[in-house]
Amino acid sequence: MSQLQLERLQSTLNRAYKNVPFYHNCLGEACMDPSAVRSLDDLSRLPLTSREDLGKNYPYGLFAVPLRDIVRIHTATGTGSNPTVSGYTNSDLAMWTEMVARSLTAAGVSADDIIQVCFDPGLANWARDFKRGAEAIQASVIPMTQLEIPKQVMVMNDYKTSALVTTPSYARQLVREMTRMGINPNSLSLRRALLLGESLSEKSRASLEAALPVQIQTAYGLSEVPGPGIAYECRERQGLHLNEDHFIAEIIDPETTDPLAAGETGELVLTTLTAKAFPLIRFRTGDRASLSTEGCSCNRSFARLHPIQGRVDQLVVIRGIKLHPQLIHTIMSRLCQGKIPAYVGFVGHLEDLDLLEIWMRLDEACFSDEIKVLEHLVHTVRRELEQSLGIPARVRLVEPGTMEDYSDRLGQIINERANG
Amino acid sequence: MLRIRNLQTYYGRIRVLDNVSLSVKPGEVVTLIGANGAGKSTILNCISRLIPCREGEIFFQGQRINGQSPEAVVRLGICQVPEGRQIFQPLTVLENLELGAYLRYGKRNRGSIQQDMDMVFSLFPVLAERLQQISGTLSGGEQQMLAIGRALMSRPKLLLLDEPSMGLAPRVVADIFHTVVKLRQEGLTILIVEQNARAVLRIADRGYVMETGKIILQGTASELLEDHDVKRAYLGRDYREFTEGRA
Repeated sequence: MSQLQLERLQSTLNRAYKNVPFYHNCLGEACMDPSAVRSLDDLSRLPLTSREDLGKNYPYGLFAVPLRDIVRIHTATGTGSNPTVSGYTNSDLAMWTEMVARSLTAAGVSADDIIQVCFDPGLANWARDFKRGAEAIQASVIPMTQLEIPKQVMVMNDYKTSALVTTPSYARQLVREMTRMGINPNSLSLRRALLLGESLSEKSRASLEAALPVQIQTAYGLSEVPGPGIAYECRERQGLHLNEDHFIAEIIDPETTDPLAAGETGELVLTTLTAKAFPLIRFRTGDRASLSTEGCSCNRSFARLHPIQGRVDQLVVIRGIKLHPQLIHTIMSRLCQGKIPAYVGFVGHLEDLDLLEIWMRLDEACFSDEIKVLEHLVHTVRRELEQSLGIPARVRLVEPGTMEDYSDRLGQIINERANG
Repeated sequence: MLRIRNLQTYYGRIRVLDNVSLSVKPGEVVTLIGANGAGKSTILNCISRLIPCREGEIFFQGQRINGQSPEAVVRLGICQVPEGRQIFQPLTVLENLELGAYLRYGKRNRGSIQQDMDMVFSLFPVLAERLQQISGTLSGGEQQMLAIGRALMSRPKLLLLDEPSMGLAPRVVADIFHTVVKLRQEGLTILIVEQNARAVLRIADRGYVMETGKIILQGTASELLEDHDVKRAYLGRDYREFTEGRA
């Protein structure tokens, strides 16, 4: 495996260095070129890539192949004003399909299953990958649609869905809806679920498995860059197997960026080995995790990733979507013509469901004596947020007095969820 | 079977191989494709120890062969069919083949040599017809067959083929590649350097794409046949400015 990884790493570096000015300059600034990488250990000497770098090279700056070779373009929310754009060649899509198929197979899903894919619109990219992955293992797939939750439950019931692919929050929502509709989950054909997008604690896995007659597996992916099948859980549930033939994972100290030893917890850094259109060299995911290389009793030789809840940066994950506080600021400044009212964002639970709520202070920056104008402001902010994030949001105008408690946290996103 | 890590080679002060890593598993047909001067033949010459490598390591069946002499490498079971055949032109076909078996020449081995020679004749019946002909008078295709036959006489485990299709008629090229497929079915491991990317990718399991001394891509043969970069550069299909569309 190490020979394969080294060969692929070296050719990825050669391609990125030759075709992507950003990586060329990055390595140049570090006084290096791809020939400096003689072993997998040398990778840690290369410069890191951040989410901000993806935004700065908007839209096509990081593509390593000509546009005419690209067959799909994905967009995800970025950290600033620019979204993150990534591209895929035919062979990239085939590689993702294979990885998604691996994670479905590891979750026990097979050609005999009827798979229902439910995501919020913000994760439509993943839904597309799952559709292809499910088709690759010849399962019957019900692709993501914009149906309301009750309709999803109806589909699940009537179409006899046997495997569910969604986020933990969405699964909780489905459970609640079943209770409301008086459907006994045990009467469903549902047997397996692959939940991803948010870290799944053992507690919430246990409570969902108690509510639904399913065996739940999880997987790991990035919503903005490549896709959903980077690492996946096997039956043993002892960590997520990383697709090491396509990625190299490192764990670094988020403060000093020094590499950490196996087993230590830090920030996950990923390097692609086979991506043609959108290679990533030491991309800082911002996710906390540890890595173990010991063998697994399922006989898969891939190293295992142990995701830890919480992040090393300011990003907040809501229903699988990553939200950077800067994005709200960007939206606000665009809508309020420079006079940005003080605001705080909250992420909390509303009946088991993650919800983003923005409080805007009713002050001179946005005050108007006409209710209509204020209502319009609230409405447009909400619509903008929902459009760029693809998840529901709420906006409230509050009295200056109410905001006093948060005066030192203005412009931030406050996480009020119990599980972080 | 063969494992190369970080190979660097210089011709004078010019670096011709830059950090090349590649591997060949037993029973595989692996191809190196790339433009003229990319360094493909240099890699083969490094494996055969015909030219020294400045840095890097070459392992054959777990044994490091960097410091070995070319003869020792042949004895280990690596045999190269050089570019442009390089047969001993003044000698007869028979003599050329006998020279291929020089490692075990002697009365005791006469039987096994004859056996191998029969195997070569079954692969290339035309050689049997021309046994006493001066090899320099053979046609290009026949000379290539002789060169491969001569290499097989050393009973190689790994066969290195350098541009076997060079200067040959398409019909003959097809014959040569057909032979490669046969040899592979008999369990021989083959590393083949070729300019005719399309033909070689049809018979190979995997391939590496080289450019100016570096490996820029690897994959299964079918992946490479479909790859746009490979199509553009080596299969002579659609080429447009790379920067097209870039902001």
